[in-house]
Amino acid sequence: MIFRKIFKYTSLAFVLSLGTYLMWPVPEKGYVSADTDENISSTCTPVDVKYNIRFVPGGYYFPGIAPAGIGKPNKGFYEVVAAYEKLHPDTKITFCDAMARREYLVTQLSSSKAPDILNVNVEDVWPDIQKHWYAPLDDYLDAPNPYIPSGQPGSVQWWDMFKFQAISRGKLAPNGKMYCISYDMIETAIYYNKDIFKKVGVGIPKDWDEYEETMTKIREAGYIPIQTVVGIYADWGIDLFLDQLYYNILPGIDLVKDPVREKYLQGYLDWDEVCFLFKKGFFTRYDLRYRELWKLIKRFRDFSNKDIATEDMIRAFVRGDAAMIWTANLVSYRFDADKDIDFEWDVFYLPKFTTNTSKYAAGVPMCVIGGSGAQFEISNSAFSDTGDPKTSERIKRIVDFMQFITVPDQYRKVINERPLLIPNIKGVKTLPLLKPFEEILQRRYTTTKWTYTFDLKFTDILQRMLLLYLDEYISLDEWIEWQEKNLEGAYVRYTRKKHPDFEAMEKEWQRLAPIRKDYIDMPIIPKGEN
Amino acid sequence: MADKKNKPFISYKLSAALVCYSIVIIPVALLGLFTYLPVFWAFQKSFFEFEIGGVSRFVGLSHYVEYFTTDPTTYISLANMAFFTFFAVAVRLSLPLIVAKLIHSIHSERWRHFYRILFLVPIVVPGVAVMLIWGGMIYSSQGFINEFLRLIGLGDLACGWLTNPGTALIAVAMVGFPFIGGFEVLIYYAGLSGIPESVNEAALLEGCVGIRKFFLIDIPMVLSQLKLILILTVIAGVQGFEGLIILTGGGPGYRTSVPGLMMYFNAFSFQRFGYACAVGVFLFALIFTLTIINFKYFKSAEEVQATN
Repeated sequence: MIFRKIFKYTSLAFVLSLGTYLMWPVPEKGYVSADTDENISSTCTPVDVKYNIRFVPGGYYFPGIAPAGIGKPNKGFYEVVAAYEKLHPDTKITFCDAMARREYLVTQLSSSKAPDILNVNVEDVWPDIQKHWYAPLDDYLDAPNPYIPSGQPGSVQWWDMFKFQAISRGKLAPNGKMYCISYDMIETAIYYNKDIFKKVGVGIPKDWDEYEETMTKIREAGYIPIQTVVGIYADWGIDLFLDQLYYNILPGIDLVKDPVREKYLQGYLDWDEVCFLFKKGFFTRYDLRYRELWKLIKRFRDFSNKDIATEDMIRAFVRGDAAMIWTANLVSYRFDADKDIDFEWDVFYLPKFTTNTSKYAAGVPMCVIGGSGAQFEISNSAFSDTGDPKTSERIKRIVDFMQFITVPDQYRKVINERPLLIPNIKGVKTLPLLKPFEEILQRRYTTTKWTYTFDLKFTDILQRMLLLYLDEYISLDEWIEWQEKNLEGAYVRYTRKKHPDFEAMEKEWQRLAPIRKDYIDMPIIPKGEN
Repeated sequence: MADKKNKPFISYKLSAALVCYSIVIIPVALLGLFTYLPVFWAFQKSFFEFEIGGVSRFVGLSHYVEYFTTDPTTYISLANMAFFTFFAVAVRLSLPLIVAKLIHSIHSERWRHFYRILFLVPIVVPGVAVMLIWGGMIYSSQGFINEFLRLIGLGDLACGWLTNPGTALIAVAMVGFPFIGGFEVLIYYAGLSGIPESVNEAALLEGCVGIRKFFLIDIPMVLSQLKLILILTVIAGVQGFEGLIILTGGGPGYRTSVPGLMMYFNAFSFQRFGYACAVGVFLFALIFTLTIINFKYFKSAEEVQATN
């Protein structure tokens, strides 16, 4: 009896102790101070610190870790931050790991608890800009970078320091303001297995028709021509293909010309324009170019792996089962380090459409849709001292730090620590492994960005339903009907939120009517349907 | 006079009532604060374009109009919800009842006890764990079911059950197969145990045994339990979406999405809290209506007896 009691109470005590231990709060793991590296000691003591800046450098640059588990741990940002803290003893930078998930951002930002400098795709920032959760950076970008000597890029305007102006400026939010610094560049290409190409007797295709022939031959030889995933078509595919088919008619449909951005982004169709054009029948069943776009994407998908929803697309390429893979330049670093890859590989960019591919093809080289791997935004925590980014002293120091990390001598230490991402700062050389991508990035920037164009719901429907179309679970007509409804919903939400100036666009539309006269297959909505 | 003097300020009856009310008022207040207030708040917010941290803007009925007219996901998710609910009702009203009857028919009390425990144990496994285990079992390439199909030479049938639009809906519905582990068995068992011995004896005398007794005596006598399970299953079917987040996220496409899931996505992924509130209010109205229908048209054993 007594043993039973002892056992009963001991086990109860054990369970309670275990529960207490498991629930005991642990020190925050994600936060790493800049001076944790033994080799670099911070010069400031906690008493001196006036500005404690929390900075999310992102997975590629986070000090102390080795991206993809290759090579030595990063130390670039340790050095840069140590240099900054030495220069500003009243400032302490704390590295911080933060998720880029919306749920995390919303909860942290709504309570002003987010790190000061975030690293999030700026498209995820746009839905929240009217809540003043992020600080616009235009005033700072238009002003000189104080760390740049006179006469060098950046001494007049911080903007001038960035190499890839079109892509960097293309990150403008729908309210016309810039909320991110495109710290680096990332670009896609077709990686190909040189051995398979040699075996099959094909070379790098010059145009899309030749490319389809190449893929046909590869398939006949028993290989998977190309590895892709559905997200590629929903993001990159739609933008590139649309540009090829609509390029010729851009002069007649590009209705709004941003005085600053037009220099870098000729013909770019903004969100307001897409809404207006939608009501004119574009991107609907009456738009034959739009139908053609999806037909061509489907044709391309048919050369790809069977499972584009869940399969690890890299595996088949690495094994030598697939001849090509369409992906971003990050894998170059992995492939280069992978000793098990027993074939030669290289990259080429997607070739242009010809009039043989489609009667709408402009015959211009394929544009780029590149972006930035690290997009730094300043959160509302940065101006918590006054609550207003215009009057905050704290935000000035944070921007100052951001300007410091883009100074070529400092920037080089971070970006070129390993060949992962392409430098976006003038005067910093691209590492040899990434040279082909730098060349690709010299091309013209895309005409539209569909993913994230309107809102998150639009993107969700686009991505989900495209898979069903590409895998033949719904027909082309059904898919276009889905997209039409999706666009209609997005149009309603967007216009309710932003109230675009459709009157001004209508005037421009009328003015451009003579130009459009020569265009073939312009959409006409039957009477009574609009 | 003396009587008047000794008469308490408030009567005993009233004071007893006041004590009871003062005890009840706390849970009622908490219930109001945490249950009813959010419902009213959601109802009010459904008329506003509302985001966390954003400015609320009155939009009237436009969220409801959008939900029923322009949102392309609405009717697919409603159809899926109807399928899941009907399927759940069908299996939860039948299979656990059969199992409960079989256990009840065992003569040995010890074995009855053993089987009751056996069928109750699955309740303690967290729902999320069940979903993850099922997800792993029917996963596209390495899942247990596909491996088994390959082993017995039916490799052609192996597929990504959850990623294939043709099979995803049924694959999700089948989670929990054979649907006999859970509290339904226990509730039916309790109902069967509650049937008076005199009724059983009368049935035996009348020669009503076996399947005939099951349909003519047992089922009518456990109608109260069936009604309870029906209501709970319908509510769970209309509200439930947690498992779908884990298994499919409503995909592929929207083949397994349900209104509850779309409500969650609209609130937390698309930042459309007002719209999500409108979906929530619709679901509330739907459950409320279905429950009233249940109460009105589905009679319990007691009600049946009273009518007879």
